[in-house]
Amino acid sequence: MGLALLAKPAALWACAVCFGDPNDPITAGFNASVLFLMATPYTVMALIAAGVFCAYRRARTQQAQAEPSETVAPLAWNQEESGR
Amino acid sequence: MAQSSTARKLDDAPPRAVLRRAFGGGDPPRPPVRPNAAFASNAWLAVLMFLGAEAMFFAGLIGAYLVFRVGSQVWPPPFQPRLPTAMTAVNTLILLASAVTMRLGVRANRRGARVLLIRLLSWTAAAGTVFLLIQGYEWLQLLHFGLTVSSSVYGGLFYTIIGCHAAHVCGALIWLAVVWSKARRGRYTKESYVGLQICAMYWTFVVALWPLLYGLVYLY
Repeated sequence: MGLALLAKPAALWACAVCFGDPNDPITAGFNASVLFLMATPYTVMALIAAGVFCAYRRARTQQAQAEPSETVAPLAWNQEESGR
Repeated sequence: MAQSSTARKLDDAPPRAVLRRAFGGGDPPRPPVRPNAAFASNAWLAVLMFLGAEAMFFAGLIGAYLVFRVGSQVWPPPFQPRLPTAMTAVNTLILLASAVTMRLGVRANRRGARVLLIRLLSWTAAAGTVFLLIQGYEWLQLLHFGLTVSSSVYGGLFYTIIGCHAAHVCGALIWLAVVWSKARRGRYTKESYVGLQICAMYWTFVVALWPLLYGLVYLY
């Protein structure tokens, strides 16, 4: 079968979404659709990431407003934790 | 049961007053490491993932539409009725206005204005209902002029894409009715309003999708 394909190499170039003429309108339609569907997952993922990032920033801002930052001495904490 | 002698027991810990003296007085400081707090609820994240899946579903429909639209020399096909672009443009504005009232409702809830929230949710539901009614009227007219699902690829694509969106608006309206009912019963507070928030997310998605579909199906 390999020899048969080598004897007729044009058959190897066949593509499931090619319809002969590259200038055919239906080929342009398939190209547009394929490009759109290739771009969509990245767009959706970017929008989800942006939503998560915005929610994270909003939560941090609200938390900072609710609890003013304090200077805490870690050594003092360790001393209390040691129970001496 | 006897306790292990090496284990540190709470009863053996020095009293609080002794600790304060050792520390120098005052309340003991807070732990230096702030506990991790969730920045979003599980429902919010779940709806975000669901909307991603919905976007991919509509992307498939739009991809199918592009194949036929770009691949056709004449669009709409001959002897097929034209779509009512002007009336649908007005309908688009109505749907966009509903998204604005929805966002204002969420803001009103954050301020604790419950009456305003209920009023804005009512306006949102009314705008969504008007949108569906106008679209239903359009469909009746198009069916009357001979555009059916089986009349051509044009009709099939139109009813599939626009019908799927209308079904989503219908589902969002049902969800909105539930949220409205809960808001009337005072289930949402300034601090806890996840149900309202995720309903607003879904409504915003449905509204934001429509101008894209309108531009593609009606104008392109």
